[in-house]
Amino acid sequence: MARYIVERTFPEGLAIPVTNEGAAAVQGVVDRNGEQGVTWVHSYVSDDKKGTFCVYDGPDPEAIRRAAERNGLPVDKITKVSVLDPYFYR
Amino acid sequence: MEPLERAGPLGELTVLLREAAAGHGRLMLLGGEAGVGKSTVVRSLAGAAADVDRRVRVLLGACDALSTPRPLAPLVDIALVLGGEVRRMLEIGGRREDVFSAFLAELGTGRPPALVVFEDVHWADEATLDLLTFLARRIGSTRALLIATYRDDELGPTHSLRVTLGTVATGADVRRMSLAPLSEEAVGVLTAHSGLDPVALYRQTGGNPFFVTEVLASGGGIPATVRDAVLARLAPLSASARTALDTASVIGSPVDQALLGEVAGPSLDEIDECLAAGILRAEGMAVVFRHELARAAVLEAISPLRRAALHGRVLAIMAAVPTERHDPALLAHHAEAAGDGPAVLRFAPEAARQATGLGANREAVSQYARALRFALRLGDDERAPLLRAFADASNVSSWGSATIDAREDLVAIARRNGDRAMEAEQLTWLATALVMEGRNEEAEAASRTAIAVVDGLPDGPASERVYRNQSFLRMLNRDTVEAVAWGERAIAIAERLDDRSGLISGLNTVGSALLVGGDESGGRERLERSLRLAEEASLDLQVASAYMNLGSGFGEVHRFADADRYLSAGLVFATERELDSARHYGTAWLALTRMHQGRWDEATGLAVDVIRGPGASAISRIMALLALGRVRARRGDPEVMTALDEAMALAAPTGTLQRLGPVRAARAEAAWLAVDGARAAGEARAAFDLAVQHGHAWFIGELAYWRWVAGDLDTPPSGTAEPYALQLAGDWHRAATAWEERGCPYEAARARAEGNDETAIREAIAAFERLGARPAASAARRRLHGLGARDIPRGPRATTRANPAGLTAREVEVLRLIAGGLRNADIAERLFRSPKTVDHHVSSLLAKLGARSRMEAVQTASRRGALDQDGEPPAPR
Repeated sequence: MARYIVERTFPEGLAIPVTNEGAAAVQGVVDRNGEQGVTWVHSYVSDDKKGTFCVYDGPDPEAIRRAAERNGLPVDKITKVSVLDPYFYR
Repeated sequence: MEPLERAGPLGELTVLLREAAAGHGRLMLLGGEAGVGKSTVVRSLAGAAADVDRRVRVLLGACDALSTPRPLAPLVDIALVLGGEVRRMLEIGGRREDVFSAFLAELGTGRPPALVVFEDVHWADEATLDLLTFLARRIGSTRALLIATYRDDELGPTHSLRVTLGTVATGADVRRMSLAPLSEEAVGVLTAHSGLDPVALYRQTGGNPFFVTEVLASGGGIPATVRDAVLARLAPLSASARTALDTASVIGSPVDQALLGEVAGPSLDEIDECLAAGILRAEGMAVVFRHELARAAVLEAISPLRRAALHGRVLAIMAAVPTERHDPALLAHHAEAAGDGPAVLRFAPEAARQATGLGANREAVSQYARALRFALRLGDDERAPLLRAFADASNVSSWGSATIDAREDLVAIARRNGDRAMEAEQLTWLATALVMEGRNEEAEAASRTAIAVVDGLPDGPASERVYRNQSFLRMLNRDTVEAVAWGERAIAIAERLDDRSGLISGLNTVGSALLVGGDESGGRERLERSLRLAEEASLDLQVASAYMNLGSGFGEVHRFADADRYLSAGLVFATERELDSARHYGTAWLALTRMHQGRWDEATGLAVDVIRGPGASAISRIMALLALGRVRARRGDPEVMTALDEAMALAAPTGTLQRLGPVRAARAEAAWLAVDGARAAGEARAAFDLAVQHGHAWFIGELAYWRWVAGDLDTPPSGTAEPYALQLAGDWHRAATAWEERGCPYEAARARAEGNDETAIREAIAAFERLGARPAASAARRRLHGLGARDIPRGPRATTRANPAGLTAREVEVLRLIAGGLRNADIAERLFRSPKTVDHHVSSLLAKLGARSRMEAVQTASRRGALDQDGEPPAPR
């Protein structure tokens, strides 16, 4: 299991409504991720909503890509990362 | 009474049983730690089966807790009850396929529904695992619910059940369930009137039902381990009852009461005592241990000397029974535990033969190994057949150096007897075993010795085998000429002796050598002939080998359409015949083929199949890791070197070009895409001389290419494969076409991106984006910007002729960037080349323009119109 940052570009701007449909869409993503052994931790979205930086846990980059494909999400770049937290250095 | 907290699992199982009775058979894989209650749930279900459907037959079988279990033990148990064709087939020693089919027929729609249980399959022998796989694929059209229980916490990474689970688990009719230990509440309920602290009990036992109930039954405090709990429960037993119990544990569960009586003396009262104490249970006419954990605890508590003596008594009585009713696997087990060498030597080989007949190869080898352990003082004549049987049946990858030691032993025996034919034969087997272990130099030495041994002997089976072996070693090393020479000698003998099998092998080896040596039609002709002959002779392994060598051979010479055809057909065959080793190798090569064809999702999917499966051999893993690593590198995904470092570690000990060539090429590409030109050159150099030495056009080609782009190659070598040769000569346009003819879109785009043709580079960028090749797309875009948006004639040669100062296209690029004010290092980065290459170009520029400095070069070129059309260099970004 490793942590990845996935960068995505949404030319039309990403818009997930705060409604039941929005919640269902998000849940669908979570479920389909689960089938590939992939966990969506959270995402950072740019102000213009055209770019996201998504934090994922998964077994390998291929699982990330498969999950993205099942969810119809674009993948620009995948980077493997480890967490650096100022609290570690207290 | 229904067991605690099992309503959910029981409910689910009942539903499955109902579905099965209606004609939709299922396999349920029921996992859980020892003592968690898998057996209890199954028996509950069995008890309630009649409520689901009156006609349900309950068929219970269990695997042995023996170091070398009896082959097909659970089926043997079931056959006793089932009778009919299955029992008959097993008794007459029928072929395995027939036994399996007979059992499947018993479960079919014409028969009453069945609840079949195979308990403890983590102890299953190879034949039982094969039966499980066989049934998993066909259970859907039966009326049976087959439950296989296993201790999921006892499966190490290389446990053979893992491979089986991996193979069957994705089947449409297969379900999995895991039983969890009891919750703290449930423990509380059980402890209610015992006076024990439920929290302490829960903590000590982890909620394990067996452990909990043992503790409660013993009525004492809370012991530290399960074993202690079991032994505590035995404390009140009388000495004679304890003796009977010890003997029962040696005999095994279910306990043959007659046998128990003969070994331990008349003991009905003692058995009753054990039954009352709850350590034994009556099941129909038999007496069983309440749990395998209990039997294990009792067995371990017996002193070693006494235990050995008990095994000896059990052996003596079992062996006195008429031979037809012998169970050689059990007899061999007791013989070893009793330390009775002669008995082991009598029964273990028999057990091995029985196992071989049922296809339980692993158990057969294990029995031969057991016999050999007790054969140390035997003479050559008696040891040799055992050594042969062991070595012939064993597979180096499973038995490691034991197989090699056995072969060396046989060579020594042959020498002592002056039997040159046998010596040569065993030397060739030794060579093959050493190759499988990656000890290629030693294999070569053995083969050379064998050649010397047969020198002077008339041509016959021994020399045929020796020449074929040498041909094989040469082929592995890509020494085409020698491989063919030795191989044809072997083929000639095989034809004269009408040795079908030898001919098939020889044609395969020679065909493979020709194919990877570049003679595509010669190679194809011989390999296809080998394939046909093998099909006629029903030699499945040879058929699979021919397919895989055709597939991997065409793959190695970059003919991917051909490779695809043979690999796909070969995989269908290997899957049908359950030839796992061939299937893994074919899948790995198909992954590589897909990688080159730009079908990257498929490539990684196939590669991961091989890498994740625990049964894959080192060579299959290497090729799969290369496919995965290259795709990751080309995509710009992480974990490139994770895959390629492992491939290197596996390939390095072999020392052969066949593995080192592709590994170094892949690592060079990865280094290049990570913008580390120096490392790319280093990787390519590492296998370059070896490739040149063996004259392998494709390895030379790719390795030379990486050295060239990294600025580490002055003159292109001869004998380079066509597309690479064209690129090295600067003819990117024809190179791109050549790559496309071979179905390689990435390599074609890469060639296009090396030219100065804006259109071509734009095409390349589009191709890279379609493929998802991020690093190459970025580099190509940078190159386009660096060149400016101008229409430049195609091909450096044409440009050189057209350029007033005789500058090549590359030199013009570099000069423009110099004119834009960039230093060499920046130019190198911009053009995605190494600094050394840029330095070369600058020197060449200065020379051609007769300039003493960079600025002078720009001015001179500009004056002569050599820089660009309208005299203005592009602005730097």
